[in-house]
Amino acid sequence: MSEFLFELNMLDSLLLLSAVTVAIAILCRVEYISGGVVTLLYLAQLVVVGMMISAGGVFSSHLTPQLFGYELGWLLDGLGLYFTLITVGSALLATLYMAGEWGRRYREQGKSFRALQSLLALNVFTMQLLLASSDLLSLFISWELASWAAFALMALSGGKGLKAALHYMIYAFSGAMLVFAVVAWIATTAVTAAYQLDINGAGILQFSSVAELMQQGIFTIPEQLLMLTLLLIGFGIKMGLLPFHLWQAPAYALSIGPAGAFLGAISSRLGLFAIIVVLFKIFGSITDGSILQSSFGFEFASVTPKTLLAWIAVATIIFPTFVAMRQNDARHLLAWHGIGQGGYMLLGLVMMDSLGSAGGLLHVFNHATYQAALFLAVTSVIYRTGTADLNRLGGLVVRMPLSFMTLLIGIIGLAGLPPMNGFVSKWLVYRSLLDQGELLLFVGAVIGTLGTILSVYKLIHNMFLGSLRKEHEEVREVSWSMLTPMLILSALILLTGLFPGIPLQWVAQGLSAVGLPVAEFNLGGVMADGGSLDMVIVSMVLFSGFGVAALIFYFVGGKSKRVNPLDNYAGGHFLYASNRYHYSNNFYAGLMHLIKPWYKNTFQRLERVVVTLLELTAESLSRLYMRPHSNQLALIIVVLLLW
Amino acid sequence: MSNYLVLLVILPLLGAFLMQPLSQLLGSKQAGRKILQNFGRAVIAVTLTITYIVATEGEGVLQLPLSLLMGGFVVPVGINLYLDQFSLLWLVAIQVSLLILWPASRDIRQHLLLLVVAASSMGMALSGDLFNIYVFYELLAVATFGLVAQAPHPAAAVVSFRYLLLSAFGSVLALAGIAIIYSQSGSLNLAHLSAFVVNGETQFPLAAFLLLLVGFGVKAELFGVNGWVPEVYGVVSSRMSALLAGVISKIAVVVIVRIMLLLFPYPEASQALLVLGILGMVGGEWVAWHTAQRGGKLSTTLAYSSIGQLGMIFVAFSFSLTLGLFVGVALALHHLIVKSGLFMLSSAQLNRWQLGLFVLFGLSLIGVPPLPGFWIKLAMLQDLWATGGGLEQLAIALFLLATVVEASYLSKIISTQMVSPQFKSAKLGGNSEERRNLNLAWLYGILLFGAIFFINPLAETLHGIAVQTEDGELLRSVVLENSIDPLAGGEQ
Repeated sequence: MSEFLFELNMLDSLLLLSAVTVAIAILCRVEYISGGVVTLLYLAQLVVVGMMISAGGVFSSHLTPQLFGYELGWLLDGLGLYFTLITVGSALLATLYMAGEWGRRYREQGKSFRALQSLLALNVFTMQLLLASSDLLSLFISWELASWAAFALMALSGGKGLKAALHYMIYAFSGAMLVFAVVAWIATTAVTAAYQLDINGAGILQFSSVAELMQQGIFTIPEQLLMLTLLLIGFGIKMGLLPFHLWQAPAYALSIGPAGAFLGAISSRLGLFAIIVVLFKIFGSITDGSILQSSFGFEFASVTPKTLLAWIAVATIIFPTFVAMRQNDARHLLAWHGIGQGGYMLLGLVMMDSLGSAGGLLHVFNHATYQAALFLAVTSVIYRTGTADLNRLGGLVVRMPLSFMTLLIGIIGLAGLPPMNGFVSKWLVYRSLLDQGELLLFVGAVIGTLGTILSVYKLIHNMFLGSLRKEHEEVREVSWSMLTPMLILSALILLTGLFPGIPLQWVAQGLSAVGLPVAEFNLGGVMADGGSLDMVIVSMVLFSGFGVAALIFYFVGGKSKRVNPLDNYAGGHFLYASNRYHYSNNFYAGLMHLIKPWYKNTFQRLERVVVTLLELTAESLSRLYMRPHSNQLALIIVVLLLW
Repeated sequence: MSNYLVLLVILPLLGAFLMQPLSQLLGSKQAGRKILQNFGRAVIAVTLTITYIVATEGEGVLQLPLSLLMGGFVVPVGINLYLDQFSLLWLVAIQVSLLILWPASRDIRQHLLLLVVAASSMGMALSGDLFNIYVFYELLAVATFGLVAQAPHPAAAVVSFRYLLLSAFGSVLALAGIAIIYSQSGSLNLAHLSAFVVNGETQFPLAAFLLLLVGFGVKAELFGVNGWVPEVYGVVSSRMSALLAGVISKIAVVVIVRIMLLLFPYPEASQALLVLGILGMVGGEWVAWHTAQRGGKLSTTLAYSSIGQLGMIFVAFSFSLTLGLFVGVALALHHLIVKSGLFMLSSAQLNRWQLGLFVLFGLSLIGVPPLPGFWIKLAMLQDLWATGGGLEQLAIALFLLATVVEASYLSKIISTQMVSPQFKSAKLGGNSEERRNLNLAWLYGILLFGAIFFINPLAETLHGIAVQTEDGELLRSVVLENSIDPLAGGEQ
């Protein structure tokens, strides 16, 4: 045993540490201590991940159980490390947020902090298992575990949240079953093929061996395409790819605050991770059109899996973003954006050039930072005001300035404007689209960004700007235990916006792990032919602009006077606090009037159709059992006669 | 030692006959009633010991398969009992389940009927010829009618009458099937008959198989003749449901599989099983979902779910390859444990620990790794892919869809339980019988959970069972040893 412990490498220690975190979260009954201890454990995990990233290379775990004749293995390469970093980081900040005052109130409300803490830790652990999986079986097993852990975390909120979680579960489980079918298919054929190809039979499901099987033509091209489709749907469901996105926004929005921040930041990105694995580690060869053409013998009219995926990605950007604009609950608005942002990531990655894939992968990190910041800021507002209803807030900037700042930095990141990090990744994706001449895709992506800017303005305006409501006069800023993670995230958004070189080096490790081209980068940005991006310069220009404006404001025309936010005038008349002077209901009325006919709830209807079909079959089948048995007897006799 | 095999059938029957006079003798005194209460259990404990002694010859190592010629008459003149790993597994399952699920009621009639159930179901598992199987099947049917009719429920009489009608109809069909076989071959011994089939002397018509399938299928909850299932499970106690769904149904499956393997080794027979299996699976799971959506009784939902699960088991057994048998046996065992556990949890409101247990059963039922259900489903899918026809691919799609449907209604049930007031208070509800049921559920939970750590050895054992079950040659050689040459004794 001591020998075994001595041989623990960094991945083993990470997984062990993560398991210990789960155990402590479950076992520690003294809840005000467990918050701190678990936070420290996440910190330790982050340190281990950091050490692994700086060491570079591939870490394989000693955990290699032989089950059912297959050897399961776990190893962490650059790609997995990148996602693990984001996972552990998000968990750390979410736990930090709830360790102090937030957690105390949560316990005082009679809810189980221990359950929340343990389920979050369980999510992190299962996600680490998933990110480190090295074969199809370990991928599927950890995938299922992670899905169910996410379900449990969502379901914890109860009520509507439970309903949303159940909705998620059906989607996720259906997806998992598609994956299951493919895994079993490959496993069945692979065992016989292993002898032919002289691959070790137990390790036949490793990604590299499976890729080998695909290249050797053990499966025909149509079969491979079918597998790829099933896998993409299965994993795409988790990512919220259209048309399987309906579950995501309510499920994340209705999760318990910090849990929602964690899930929104990283959980659905696991789908992207798995898609990257499938696309680039297993089916690398058939994504471009040439092989299809050679095997089917006719031109595919430029419809390759690549273009198809790119269009799905763009649809995923556009539709949810405009749905987000209609939301009147801050959390729902953000969660809908989370779906749309996933589209950018996929879009960048399927471009498969150095800029696009870097942009897509970088966007995962960037999105995690601002989505977590935004969710935490909204959670803070809920903590103080008890609502996230965009029609019942306003003017909070004077009461909660730091939360406002976090939200502001977050939405600039989300909208993809400089100098925040969201700009960098979107710029890379746009550049790649333009480089490859995909103008239509580019236009689609820009339309998505436009929708994002409009709706995040609605978010910050309705919550923080305008006039303060009378009932919020006594509202204070949240405590430092909650502010600290928010400010750390804000700093991250800004810093990685100014110096995108830092996350880009992790991205580069991830890209090279799956064999994608890596762009040349430095601390300030990316160097490419025909136009580089240096965020240091961009930001300097931007800030000097702001500086000039500030100079003018404060020294030339600066006649400002501080007043109480309830001390309002309009047209020379005093406005009483009961007169609401904040335009938030029916926001963007004019625009909505224009685009309203476009909202057709098509996807809800599609979903309804499927459910109704199931219900109809069930109804007619249940008739068989409800009636007296004479029908059945007749049925049997008829069947027997026909045979 | 193998002579003791017959005691497995005789002792419970003898116990059942003794029950009545014993109750006359002892029923008046307190201590006497205690003895009566535990009499049935004691009989089963004795037979379980005998099973162990016979199977291992008292040496701790399995000495299987073995065949016992009754009264020294050789096959096909005499009748024989056949014990291989497959039947041993079910013998143990029957007896252990009976020991666990033995009712606490003071009603001696119930104990008596259960002893008859024990004798007849073990007889079915052991019998080496069709006629004995039929006799034990009838005996089993009669005993279960009694158990259903005794249930303390206003609808018990009507339900058991309808069950009786359907069951009697099934018996007639089975008898007709047996008649066809007998008229063609003049023999009823399975080993003897299978020798005809292997030698190409006779090919029994598919109609005979279908008649037998539908006939014995009544107990096995086969599609088309399973209308009794939701009614009966809605009426009888949780323990009886667990017994009927978990064990009795499997015994009928065992018989069907044996008959198919030995007498009808051709694709049409498997296909019939596959089609009926798919229909049962889809029908059961869909209607279970429908019931849960409508807020129906948990026991009814579980009944439909049991139909669906048996459908899956039929699908698995329809591939009479080793892998198919392996999956079928594994599925059946898994279902036995899980469904018994679920039925134990179905009668009362649950507190959070019990709900956790319910979740464990549910997750294994839908095959979430690393629970045993997952590995079985993986093997099942591999089985279907390996066979790879159009019907099989349809079966894959429907199998996975059924799993999703299953997940949907189980989570629906769980979430309904979660919002119940008892859940929050974490207090034990129900009367003493219900509490005892809840405790029994833990036993099944431990079995299931423990299996996670023994996946590989379990798989090996089950694989061994499957290999031995498939080996018709072994059966023939063991049974027909020292007997009249089957070919010479063929057409009499």
